[in-house]
Amino acid sequence: MTTSIRSDFDVETSTAAFAFNLPQRAGRLLWAPMLGMALMAFPVGLLIAGVRASTIQQGGDAATIAALGHFGPAVMFIGFAAVFAAVSFAIARILGTLRNGSGLVQQATGGTVQALRMLPTAKAFIGLMAMAMMILVGAVIAHFIVGAAILGGDASALASAETWSIRLEAVRRVGVIVYLVAITLGLATIAEVIRFQAIRLRELPAEAAR
Amino acid sequence: MASTTHTPAIPVDGSGSVPSTSLRQRGIGLSLIGLGGAMVAFAGSLSAAQITADGGAAADVAAIGLWTFGLTTAAFGTAKFGIAATLLAIVRRITARADSIKFALPQLKAATGQVMATGEYDSPLGAVTVTDDAPEPLLIHRFAGIMWLPMLAMAAMALYGGFVLSLVASGNVATDPQLAASQRAWVQGLQFLGEGLVLSGISFLLARILGALRASGGEVQTSVGLKVHTLRMPASAKAFVVLMMAGLMVEIAQLVGYAYVAGLSDAGEIAVASTFLGPLREFGLGLLLSGIVLALATIARALDFQSTRLVSIITRGQ
Repeated sequence: MTTSIRSDFDVETSTAAFAFNLPQRAGRLLWAPMLGMALMAFPVGLLIAGVRASTIQQGGDAATIAALGHFGPAVMFIGFAAVFAAVSFAIARILGTLRNGSGLVQQATGGTVQALRMLPTAKAFIGLMAMAMMILVGAVIAHFIVGAAILGGDASALASAETWSIRLEAVRRVGVIVYLVAITLGLATIAEVIRFQAIRLRELPAEAAR
Repeated sequence: MASTTHTPAIPVDGSGSVPSTSLRQRGIGLSLIGLGGAMVAFAGSLSAAQITADGGAAADVAAIGLWTFGLTTAAFGTAKFGIAATLLAIVRRITARADSIKFALPQLKAATGQVMATGEYDSPLGAVTVTDDAPEPLLIHRFAGIMWLPMLAMAAMALYGGFVLSLVASGNVATDPQLAASQRAWVQGLQFLGEGLVLSGISFLLARILGALRASGGEVQTSVGLKVHTLRMPASAKAFVVLMMAGLMVEIAQLVGYAYVAGLSDAGEIAVASTFLGPLREFGLGLLLSGIVLALATIARALDFQSTRLVSIITRGQ
């Protein structure tokens, strides 16, 4: 493998198509399980909300209502963490497909295979995605801890249930916006890779003729 | 690892027509604006939490809660508009990529091999239809081409209109709590309808990408005089459409629910309804996002099929 320097793109070269890299392999493997997890979590979160609304209507136990007020968002945001991860993994899978597919086409022409080195947007995409996932999972864990403490009879946890709700909602929102920025960067990477492909394809006939 | 210098192709052959990066950069810019807005709201929410912890006035917490909700949801929407702009950049570049393939393929294609009969066959990527001509766009692709922009326009009105209303309601908390409670319900209903609409707009843009891949695949194959191989609509694409429609309907239902809550005066009834409507609106967004995952997976499959097809044309001429 050699390093090829272009003035317009930072590429790596090879005589054979590049395989999926590690994040792309993870994307290919994990998008579907993550989607499955999200599709299970969303209805459960809605069900807990229904139970909580019914408990409030019937004048139920304050501790139960407060605890469900933490368990419901926790489950719902397991769903959001999973579905945003699924979106991110699906984007990584597309990037892998573009990298490998473009390589196979270049290889078929008998020319040098060029692939973009990992773009800064791709690196930021992976970093922000991991950060967003940790923020959301952290908030979910905190919701479960507070909910469990309330159900366990901790009076101070019950007294601070509303404060924790506001805090954790704020943290969840940060997790979501970081995920959205990560997804934008992932898609921006796809756009740039397709732009490279459009230019690279036009170079292939001249290279094949040599 | 050796290092060599490669001179890029001079774009006399038309590669200069590849779209520039401005739309993509605007997408990233919009997302970062969204991030900034959300961080301001985050600071506001933490101050509301501190007031609650200190036993401060409930009206203050409610007022902060209103504008932080409005700002955060508008920020989420802005970031999603950034995603939509980036998807639009992808649509344009797929068209440019197809032009490049049409330019290069006649010079790369092997001598035409055995002519394949029209019909259907199964490939590792799914069922494939073989036709003489490029396939017509599917109904969802035509619909997506028409609907993505109105969806985003309506989303902008709902999201930013809701944000303005959240500021108004925040100012009314101390002076007219009843009116503020009613406005709060409208803010939540309107803004989450906006969230649903912007995700629907994104879904339509993804469908446009799928439509562009299908159309460009047909054009490329006919341009070199070959029969057109097209992937049949996979189950993931059908499920994507179903989830998108279901999610949008849930968001409309939650708006109706909040409109009902806006007319209530009993605090107990409002609390019960709001307890359910909050997760319901999130459930709707979850369905829309799940549909988007399936659309992305379908795009990956379509791209995989295109590469396989191109290799077949280059190496075997069929």
